[in-house]
Amino acid sequence: MYETIAFYTFAISTTILFLITVMSKNVLYAMTALASGMVMISGFFFLLGADFLGVVQLIVYVGAVMALYGFAMMFFDATRDIKEKHQNPALVFLLGGLMALMFVVIFSAPIIGDNVQALYPIVEGVGNAQAVGMVLFTKYLVPFEVAALMLLVAMIAGIILAGKKMDYSLTTSEAADEEINVEEKLQADIEREKGEA
Amino acid sequence: MSLEQFKNRNVGTQNYVKLDLDHSPTTGWCQFKQVVKRTFKPELFVGLGVTFREMVNALFRGKMHTTQYPFEKLPISPRYRAIHDMLRLLESGNYRCIGCGLCEKICISDCISMETKYDENQRKEVSEYTINFGRCIFCGYCAEVCPELAIVHGGRYENASEQRASFSLFEDMLTPIDQLNLQQEYAGFGAISPNADENVKSTPLAY
Amino acid sequence: MVSTIFLTATALPEVIWIGVIIKAVLILAVIAAIAGFGTYIERKILAFMQRRLGPQHVGPFGLLQLAADGIKLFTKEDIIPQHANKFIFSIAPVITAATAFIALAAVPVFPDFTIPFTDILVPSIASDINVGILFVLGMMAAGLYGPLLAGMSQGNKWGIIGSARTAIQFLSYEVVTGLSVLAPIMMVGSLSFVDFNDYQTDGLWLVVYQPIAFVLFLIAGFAETNRTPFDLLEHEAEIISGYVTEYSGMRWGLFFIGEYANMITIGVIASIVFLGGYNDFLFIPGWIMIIGKIAFSFFFMLWVRAAWPHVRPDQLMWLCWKVLMPLAVINVLITGLVIMI
Repeated sequence: MYETIAFYTFAISTTILFLITVMSKNVLYAMTALASGMVMISGFFFLLGADFLGVVQLIVYVGAVMALYGFAMMFFDATRDIKEKHQNPALVFLLGGLMALMFVVIFSAPIIGDNVQALYPIVEGVGNAQAVGMVLFTKYLVPFEVAALMLLVAMIAGIILAGKKMDYSLTTSEAADEEINVEEKLQADIEREKGEA
Repeated sequence: MSLEQFKNRNVGTQNYVKLDLDHSPTTGWCQFKQVVKRTFKPELFVGLGVTFREMVNALFRGKMHTTQYPFEKLPISPRYRAIHDMLRLLESGNYRCIGCGLCEKICISDCISMETKYDENQRKEVSEYTINFGRCIFCGYCAEVCPELAIVHGGRYENASEQRASFSLFEDMLTPIDQLNLQQEYAGFGAISPNADENVKSTPLAY
Repeated sequence: MVSTIFLTATALPEVIWIGVIIKAVLILAVIAAIAGFGTYIERKILAFMQRRLGPQHVGPFGLLQLAADGIKLFTKEDIIPQHANKFIFSIAPVITAATAFIALAAVPVFPDFTIPFTDILVPSIASDINVGILFVLGMMAAGLYGPLLAGMSQGNKWGIIGSARTAIQFLSYEVVTGLSVLAPIMMVGSLSFVDFNDYQTDGLWLVVYQPIAFVLFLIAGFAETNRTPFDLLEHEAEIISGYVTEYSGMRWGLFFIGEYANMITIGVIASIVFLGGYNDFLFIPGWIMIIGKIAFSFFFMLWVRAAWPHVRPDQLMWLCWKVLMPLAVINVLITGLVIMI
């Protein structure tokens, strides 16, 4: 009884929150709805008795959406609405609707066919974290390691991209001065060409 | 130490102690060494120790620094120029003012106004004497020019009141007759404050 | 590993709902009171450390200063700036305060006890989930949305800078907190606070085995609760008040209740994970020990505030990514190796 009430509360609030994420023109509302939607999803994990996954969902998505906030802060004025460009609203609606329909069919087919089974049911007395660890390091070891490798590659790429010119300061370094000089020269060239034209 | 040593402003020739400051690190290895050195230096804990010592000093050794102002006041320097006091003659209890009007003349912000008349003994008597403290700049000329030391600057610096007139009348500034024995003579322009001895501290140069 | 879990599962006596409710009320009442009272303690201790008297005139020794502040905050005008995002602006302080108290639901504060003359057992945790420590850290991380949203919604440049600092500071120090508690988690083999406590019942405190993890956790805890060496979010000299610039009245007060509750939570985690929890120590009963430990960690935060200066934002990030995180990773590696051998 309580679980049903909790499930429908979480379900309705998740749906509404993600609808706001998609519909809202205000970046702050969209992001906040996204973050709280993620928190609501973790409620489902708790309902199913998967405490560990629920907490991981909470921690990971809280951090991830916070990084998104960083981008929002850099690109948009958070207190204003954003003008969106809709080139072809009908097409967007059609494709989006079709995709949603497809997802519904994919996910509801096994439910209708009664083929939903827990591959790794919760064992009494074994903690959640242990169960996840067992599965992760036996059956799914290769995907897990591949994912770790990909993240490592991404991290190194990020460091290289961001850290190219970290070693010298823009204000004191001679190399930077030279760069500025070159840029000024370029600017001057462009202006002269403009003048000649 | 003679006076000449203080007059010598030639920085280069005096025995200044140069601070032994490290150069900022240039290479990565130097930076690393600096970090390690700073990590294992107990400086942060020295800081914690200092604050804890001060707390013990304040709580248990009576070195609390707070003056609870409206309830206790620090003694004020005699040089301080606050609301004026009108003094009395100690012998007769009569006020010292002879009504010469010099203070009114010299007042540069024109805030003193007085009216005088001859009393029955053909002696000048002050019938009206007010200082407009909205205008007074507390320059002290009136006290300086007074031939009888009748008007001096007192130590009353709490000037908030409901009405400006509350402390600008002659009677308000006059020493109350029952407190004549407490009347302080003006200590003079170079006088030091009564708690000057307590305030003398060794300067940082002595460390 | 499995056996310890069985032990806790069977050793737990029956917990009835009244016990849980009493515990919840106890936590709410005690922690909310302490969180409010913390402002008084902070002002008093900072004053003593600077040889001042601190709040003095409201009540005996200024003890009723809290009531005076409360009345002031409640009756103050609640200003919402004209161009702010009003909805988000209004809920941001609630997020901070609410998450701080939700985190406390999974934190054991006192040992189990039975109310005298009844059979009602009050458990040590209001809700003993198996992943307590992760839940508390996650909830504290969620609480950081308060400052972030507050800064972004108020349409004020100081607020924006404050929330940008929130994002970088907390994203970075999350990593250090997680990695630093990872080593004790590996040793205990569980994520439940009760297991942490039971692990230290007979043996030494975990801080003896994991001194580096303890120091790292404290540093990261200071950063996450926004305390002085790392209080860049509302650094007065640089950015007025950061994310609370436009707030007034009780909304402003909620941020501070949240902050003080978080300080207590960090203190509780530090004392349970590293400092022996609520076990009896020699002849001293456990509940006195845990109160003493929490009080000391609270005092330590104030002490540090009186003694140490702020750091610059770039120094903060440098410290996190180039010093603390590698140290934490090395610590985890060494712990793993030792456990394996």
